[in-house]
Amino acid sequence: MNRKTKPTVRIIQVILAILATFFAVYPVWFVLLASGRAGQRLLTLNLLGTFIPTEWSFENYQVMLFQQPFLDWIRNSFFVAIMTTISCLLIATSAAFAFSRMRFYGRESGLVLFLAIQSFPGVLSLVPIAQLLSAIGLYKNLWGLIMAYVAGTLIFTTMNLKGYFDTIPIDLEEAAMIDGCGPVQSFFLIALPLARPAIAITALFAFMAGWGEYVLASVLIPAPDTAVTAMVGLYKMANQLSVPWGYFAAGAVMIIIPILIVFLYLQRYLEGGLTLGGVKG
Amino acid sequence: MVQWSGRRTYLTVLAFIGPTLLGILIFNIYPILFNTYISFTNRNQFHPNPDCSVGLTGIFEPTCWSVFKKSAPQGLGTPFRLQNPIYANYVDLLGDFFTAPVLLAAFKIFLCFVPLIIGVQINRRYKNQFDRPISSGMMITIAILIGFLLIYILKIPEALDTIMKSGDFFVVTFRTIVYVAACIPLFFIVGLSLALLLNVPDLPGRTFFRVALIVPWAASTVAIMMSLVWKFFFQEKGTINQVLGTMGIKGQVWLNDPTIAFLVIVLANVWYSYPFFMVTILGALQSIPSEIYEAAEVDGANYLQKLSNITLPLLRVAVIPVIVLSSITTFQMFGTVWAITGGGPSRGAGTPGATELVMVYAYKQVFQTAAYGRMGAFALIMFVLLFAATLYSLRLSRITARGA
Repeated sequence: MNRKTKPTVRIIQVILAILATFFAVYPVWFVLLASGRAGQRLLTLNLLGTFIPTEWSFENYQVMLFQQPFLDWIRNSFFVAIMTTISCLLIATSAAFAFSRMRFYGRESGLVLFLAIQSFPGVLSLVPIAQLLSAIGLYKNLWGLIMAYVAGTLIFTTMNLKGYFDTIPIDLEEAAMIDGCGPVQSFFLIALPLARPAIAITALFAFMAGWGEYVLASVLIPAPDTAVTAMVGLYKMANQLSVPWGYFAAGAVMIIIPILIVFLYLQRYLEGGLTLGGVKG
Repeated sequence: MVQWSGRRTYLTVLAFIGPTLLGILIFNIYPILFNTYISFTNRNQFHPNPDCSVGLTGIFEPTCWSVFKKSAPQGLGTPFRLQNPIYANYVDLLGDFFTAPVLLAAFKIFLCFVPLIIGVQINRRYKNQFDRPISSGMMITIAILIGFLLIYILKIPEALDTIMKSGDFFVVTFRTIVYVAACIPLFFIVGLSLALLLNVPDLPGRTFFRVALIVPWAASTVAIMMSLVWKFFFQEKGTINQVLGTMGIKGQVWLNDPTIAFLVIVLANVWYSYPFFMVTILGALQSIPSEIYEAAEVDGANYLQKLSNITLPLLRVAVIPVIVLSSITTFQMFGTVWAITGGGPSRGAGTPGATELVMVYAYKQVFQTAAYGRMGAFALIMFVLLFAATLYSLRLSRITARGA
């Protein structure tokens, strides 16, 4: 392995990497450029402007923040995402612990059934869910949306956490049990603190599921303009007859950048976090 | 294994998994049951409202429950009722699939895959033998060649055409299968090449590339928005045409061309999904001990030999679950396609558009024409297919895990 790489091979490698990076980053970079361009156009008159910033103004951001209901959207989205994360963790950790540590009738088949249930086409359960929520009066209500999100991410989070609990050695809990520790204490005092990394990753995924989801949100909270989540609001904006592209781009940047930063910061855990549980069989 | 004894064990278990069960029961199992029931009724835009006095309707329809009865919709038109015969929606969907010419066409298509299946079986049989009569790669190549020959002999395009004419269901399902078959290999190839590239230890700027190449994954959490950007690239006054314009080429309205529109949704999906593959493969690559490669080098193996005989077989365990998972999510792809093409370009009224994948089709049928009954049947058929695929894949990944 210690042979020196030939210069030609090295050059090809670097060129490939640069091309791939361009492919990966350009769409996001493009939105960033467009958001700083005054006037409602994504197109620039000079070609250079599509690739590097030739002009920059914060006009679009100002309009988005102060003249559009954008802050309402962000608040709604944030509320939904945070509540989804918290409720999901509360519910899923205990279930995952039970599936990992306790023996009861239907444990194995229950797990398989959970996975298989997930393959039901989500688009088609929209109507029953909307009907159910409107019957109990939570239609067009953020709490209804949160309930639907929690249920939607529950299976994935339970599986992921169960996989991690399986990797924690049971000896600690056995020792505690001899000292008279019951399942509830064992869960709160031993398993939860040990599962902290998996909980962090699961929380990240639950948050992102709530932050970026569009279809459910558009069906369950279609109107009014101040009650929708950021995704629905921006999507509506981009489907008007004359699209205010500059505003759209500014809004998109303000939604993507925080996610991007968190994601890139946590990226070294991603690989570990995903293979921690689940797929080890 | 810890076993808390005592008569309250079941209560404890219930307390732990109760909330999860309740959530899944309400938001996953109830919609499935509801859809199953609706699939046997004629609920559509002309009969949207329930008749609560019918037994099962009263049970399944939330607005019929006595607690919520005051909010029940009071509409004009007769309420929906059970179909006569009860499976009429299924007949409607599957059309004349069960007639001789269509079944024959389906059988012909199946025949083309027979050589491949036989080849794989033979390979499995000789798996661990050194002096095999024929190498596994050669076996597969021959099988594929015979398959192609059969495609030519049996006039498969015509057979496909026969099946396509027997209903929308087959058109959208076939198209979705083509979509998955186009996407997954691309995910794998792009993910593998970039992982191999990032695994070069002395690549200049390796950390930078590693971070930059993962950006689409982060962006995929707001997929619907980035899809609008992808749409913009290919618009009439979009970026691609602008770049072409400065070179003096007049571009076209890319998304109006069925083939190009299809390729665009494949490309956008590759953009979203390759980082997942890349990260998984990179992780697996780094867990392969370098001694194996050193041993191979001593034996004089070149790069390609090392790749095909060491790297790829050792990646299998990590990659197969990812492939299965992505296949199922790609099959159910909705948001991206909806935002980029909306199912279009149209191929005439009453027929699904050129990029109308199963979920887009279902969404349109439910929300634009209110065909609840028919789509209930559609959902159920899809569910059975995907359910079987999931169970099979669980078996598959368990086998590979044991083989590792």
